[in-house]
Amino acid sequence: MGSSNIWITDLYHYYDKKQATPTLEDINLTIPKGQLTALIGRSGCGKSTLLQMIAGLLIPSEGSVRINAHTVTKPSAKWNMMFQKPSLYPWMTVRENAALGLVFAGTYASKKDRVEELLDMVGLSEHKDKNVQQLSGGQQQRVALARSLATEPDVLLLDEPFSALDAFTRSALQTEVAQICHDYGITMVLVTHDIEEAVAMADKVVIMNHNPGRIVGSMDVELPYPRDRSEPQFIELKEYLFAEFEKIDQAKQAELEKQLAS
Amino acid sequence: MSNAMTVEKFSFGQITATYKKMPGWLQNFTNATLGMTILLFLWWVGGVLIESNPDTEAFAAFAPGPALSALWGLLGTEFLWDTITSSLERILFGLFWGIVIGVPVGVILGYFLAVRQIANMPFQFLRMISPLAWMPIAVLAFETWDGAIIFLIVMATVWPIVFGTAHGVQRIDPNWFRVARNLGADGYQMLRRVIMPAIAQDVFAGIRLAIGVAWVVLVPAEYLGVTSGLGYAINDARDTLDYDKLAAIVVVIGVIGYLLDTVAAKLIKRYSWNLE
Repeated sequence: MGSSNIWITDLYHYYDKKQATPTLEDINLTIPKGQLTALIGRSGCGKSTLLQMIAGLLIPSEGSVRINAHTVTKPSAKWNMMFQKPSLYPWMTVRENAALGLVFAGTYASKKDRVEELLDMVGLSEHKDKNVQQLSGGQQQRVALARSLATEPDVLLLDEPFSALDAFTRSALQTEVAQICHDYGITMVLVTHDIEEAVAMADKVVIMNHNPGRIVGSMDVELPYPRDRSEPQFIELKEYLFAEFEKIDQAKQAELEKQLAS
Repeated sequence: MSNAMTVEKFSFGQITATYKKMPGWLQNFTNATLGMTILLFLWWVGGVLIESNPDTEAFAAFAPGPALSALWGLLGTEFLWDTITSSLERILFGLFWGIVIGVPVGVILGYFLAVRQIANMPFQFLRMISPLAWMPIAVLAFETWDGAIIFLIVMATVWPIVFGTAHGVQRIDPNWFRVARNLGADGYQMLRRVIMPAIAQDVFAGIRLAIGVAWVVLVPAEYLGVTSGLGYAINDARDTLDYDKLAAIVVVIGVIGYLLDTVAAKLIKRYSWNLE
């Protein structure tokens, strides 16, 4: 499982040519291999747009995304995305859902064991033959995780994948996914607006501003896994990020007042 | 102190209690038997009324007794077999073309909102025209009577299949496409693994409705020039005053229609993915 670097260079994006301010402006970012990078920002800062560009689901107006030697122009099972909703196929069993990427690649016959192992790993050993509609939300998201990992991706992109789950399930999955990232050396990019989630999971947190969507700062998190959320250092980092967001808001406010005054 | 047997009082409460204790299949069987008994009874009453009225007495053979004995006589005969197979053949051809035309049109309709909006009025308009109204056109357009009949059946089957398929496509979660694309599905795989299983139950629901309409349309359509099929057999029995045979054919039509519907219902169940 070769891991990779992701390079984003001089990326701009406009959804509409007539747009006054770009959705994403001057994004330059290198994502180190085998690590978990979190993109945080308020709704509308373009973080999900950026993630979809890394996935190849959207093409940037200017600039490029490269993964290893490839310039990303289309989706690939090598850079896989997990969405907010598990979006499982309700006519399939847990196993069939998890195996789908391998079925598409035509390699399921030779990699059956991998699907079984992954389902065991995400704690669904006893549910493999059930219809996915019989599972809870957390279990469904675990199926989606197994499905994403089955194709042995170099990069796993996570678009707020836990936001629809209850607090207990959410924190358990946050810990597990961060663990998987480091155990398997998969490069992960997580988009979230939950500061605690970012601090709990990421090696590096990238802060984004909105209108236009821009990177305004970053912070390394050097706490060991699994992370203790009640530890002073953890709380300190959370507070630091909150303070950063407040600064952004104040700057926005000042800018707005200046515009109104002139 | 009397030894006399107490007459058990007829009690609805007890019947209901016994019924509720029965397993599901037995309840269904009891209900079906009850329903068919009522139908048979009404038929018998009808027969008695016809027979007792001097004006209609000549049609007394419509009653269940003569009809069922005529049916018994028909069973296993080559005539009945040929009659049924030629009707089924027309239905299957009509259904085949209804599916071949209806499913792709339904997919396009379901997928593109603009097409749906444009097609809505004309399709609803065409749908409401009785397929039998196309008969003169069918006779002009097709060289054989069989061709004309199959055309009428296609006109009957195509609409429910179009609308059923379109409904199925509209229900597809756009995320299913996104995830499949993300997992590396190509166009064929998308069709085979995502679109087809997603819409199958709605397509079969359309087909079930189509079979119902087609079966109803078939009999009058077979009054046209052909010399085989259930519609022809009815017309022929009328002309030869074989009313017991006519009633027997009516029973055959009902039984086969019921079987066709059962097959379609089974297919819907087989391909439906909603858990109850």
